[in-house]
Order: sequence, then C-alpha cells, then structure tokens
Amino acid sequence: MTISDEMLMAYVDGELDAASRASVEAAMQEDPEIGKRVARQRALRETMQGAFAAVLNEPVPDRLIDAARGRGAAARAQTATTPQSAVADLSLSREAARRKKLPARRWQPAAMAASLLLGLGLGFLVWHRSGVLIQPGAGGGLVASAALAEALSTQLSDDRAADRVAVTGLSFRNKSGDYCRTFSLNETNASSGLACREGTDWRIEALAQSPRAAANSGNFRTAASEDSPAIRAAVEGSIDGEPLDHAGEIAARQAGWAAVPKR
Amino acid sequence: MSTNDSVENVQEQIVALLPRLRRFARNLVRNPHDADDVVQIAVERALLRLDQWRSDARLDSWLFKILRNAWIDEVRARARRAKILMPEEAGEQIGEATMEREMERWSAETALSRLPEDQRLAVSLVLIEGLSYKDAAEVLDVPLGTLTSRLARGREALQEMLRLPEGDVS
Repeated sequence: MTISDEMLMAYVDGELDAASRASVEAAMQEDPEIGKRVARQRALRETMQGAFAAVLNEPVPDRLIDAARGRGAAARAQTATTPQSAVADLSLSREAARRKKLPARRWQPAAMAASLLLGLGLGFLVWHRSGVLIQPGAGGGLVASAALAEALSTQLSDDRAADRVAVTGLSFRNKSGDYCRTFSLNETNASSGLACREGTDWRIEALAQSPRAAANSGNFRTAASEDSPAIRAAVEGSIDGEPLDHAGEIAARQAGWAAVPKR
Repeated sequence: MSTNDSVENVQEQIVALLPRLRRFARNLVRNPHDADDVVQIAVERALLRLDQWRSDARLDSWLFKILRNAWIDEVRARARRAKILMPEEAGEQIGEATMEREMERWSAETALSRLPEDQRLAVSLVLIEGLSYKDAAEVLDVPLGTLTSRLARGREALQEMLRLPEGDVS
C-alpha cells in the first residue's frame, strides 16, 4: 500500500490509531524507503525538541512567577479596570515590567508617558500665544476652543496641511460611545492630546508636551513622535473597537460627532 | 474554581508551565523581551478567566491559546499606535533582526524563524511543545486539516533548510 506523507507524519507524531500504525509499520518492513522517510521525520522532531530545550532551563523572571501567583503589580492595578480591556492590560504590565527596570526598548512604554504628561493648567495656555486653544469648560475640566475645536470638528485625519493650527490623528469611539480624536498642535512647542466629544464641546482627556520639543523646535515630527506614548496610553485605555476609517470619520462629522448609544 | 485552594493549585501549575510558555512565546514573538511581556499578560489574563477554563481541557493548551490571542491584540495595538500620530513611521521596527540572521549559520532556531507564522506555530506546538493535533488546532483556532497541512509544509521546509542526515535507520 502507499503511505502518504501526512500519514507518516501522523505516525511519527503518535496520532494514528492502532490499525493505521500497524499498516505503516508493515509498509516500513516492506519498503526501506518508507523506513528512511520515517527516520527523517523522527530526526527532525528530535532536532527541534533538542534545539529548544535550553529555554526550559533558563531561570524564569520573578515578575512572571509573581504574575502567575496573582501577585503581579499589573494584576493588582488591573482589578481596578475592566478585565477584558486587553490593550490596557499590556500597558499596565509593561509599566510593571519597567518598574523592574528593564532596559529601554524601541517600543515606547505607556508608563514613560506619565512623566511627560504636563498639568492641565495655566502652563499649557502660555505655550500657545496664537490664541487660547484650550480653556476651562463649564464642567470644571478643560475643553478645546477656537481653532482647535474647529479643527477637531471639521478636519479629517488624512488632512495634514502644514498651515493648520492642529492636525488630527486618530478618531475612534470610546467605551461610553463618545467620539474621541487625537490631535497635535503645530506650534514651536509641539504638543499633542486626546479630546472626546461631550455635547457640543471637545473635552480634553489627555495632553502631552515633549520635553525635547524645545531642542527639536525645527522638527515637529520628531517631537510629536517623542511624546506620543502619553497619548497612546490614553487612547488604548479608552478605545472601544477599532479606529474610524476615512468613511467613518466623514459619517461621524456629518452627524456632528454625536455619541452613538451602545447597542 | 470555587475555593482558594483550587485557585492556588492552578496558580502553581501555571508557575510550573512558565518555562514552556516562555518557549512558545519566543517562537511566537521572536524578541525575547517582548516574549516575556506577552507571557506576563497571558498569565494575568488567565487568572482573571480561570472560571472559563474547563478542567477537562489541558491547562497548557488553554494558556498557549491565551498567549497567542494576547500577541494578536498586541500586534493590532501596535498597528493602531503607529497610526495615531506618525503614519510615516509605521512599520519601522520590522526587519532589523532578520539582517543579523543573514550572517548566522543555519540552526534549528533560525530555520524555524524563517517559516511563515502559520507553519512556525504549528511546528512549535506539535513538534516542540508536544501537543496533539487536536489541541494544537484548538490553540490556533483552525480546523484539524488546516493544522496538519501547515505542519506538513513547515516540516518540509525545515527538512530542506536543515538537510538532516538520514537518521539512525538500521
């Protein structure tokens, strides 16, 4: 009988029932070529197992053991948030990892963002002399005003003309169904933020300024990339589902960015 | 999971599985630091969802599956982050590691890392982690036939790259 490759592999992997196993073994007796094919498959299996056995003997980092025993810093922090917010989990555990002083990596952690977040206070207003873009709202928080509010309400995210007061980055719905948008201000002190729609206001949820912005004043893009972890963290903590695409932004703009009730 | 005893018991089983979770994560993620981060996420998620674990299911396959899903979420989140403020820089961090590998001798690790992800994970779960086809298909959320064909193609490619001797056939 002929033995397919799949059947040989299943034989080597111990996936065959007794009858099929017997027929493979009978075929091996008859045809040495089949015996060789089985031997090659076995050798591959052993090589792969051997090559990856070393990891098993490496010491496991304490933070993982703590996490498995439910004692991780992230696990504690997480119980305060929604359990299924997957992306927030990552930021939190990355933060925990960072506290254990992992070396800095290319993938900028949300935790670092905390140190970049500047107060939502008067300091911010001073940065922007061309107009008060952010002002105290009726509810006590801060809201976008003037050109910033205008930009948030009208600009699409792929509109990146250089003369804009602000560019909008990403639009999405948060977990309460409100529309939120990230933005960057085209000013010497590059700063960026996240605003969510509240009635007819854009409520400022997060604001960040790059401490390196002054040094990089000629290079807006670099500055914006430096401070974006703060905003990323804010986005990941609040986003529900995927960001809006171009058509989604147009539809939301037409609807005046009115909150969409949760189904 | 009704008593603290059993939760602690499962926690200790998870601790015992950590070396294997780290191994699978490295084949999933490649960068060892990212791999440990994803293991941590997966373990934390697993603890929050212990009630979803059917105790007739293998704990290792269940954790492998959570690990893989955590990585999928992370990849999506990275893609999204890349879009938030700096669309021009998206994808910048891909490909650096492969340059280094050009210089290395073929080894089982490099050969495995060269496989497409589908095949790499099938090989990793069945040949390295020793899962049954059924459990591996479950971890990867694919039908059994898909798993076996990925496994077959992955094996073929590995044989080709490693040029293994005929083995101890006598």
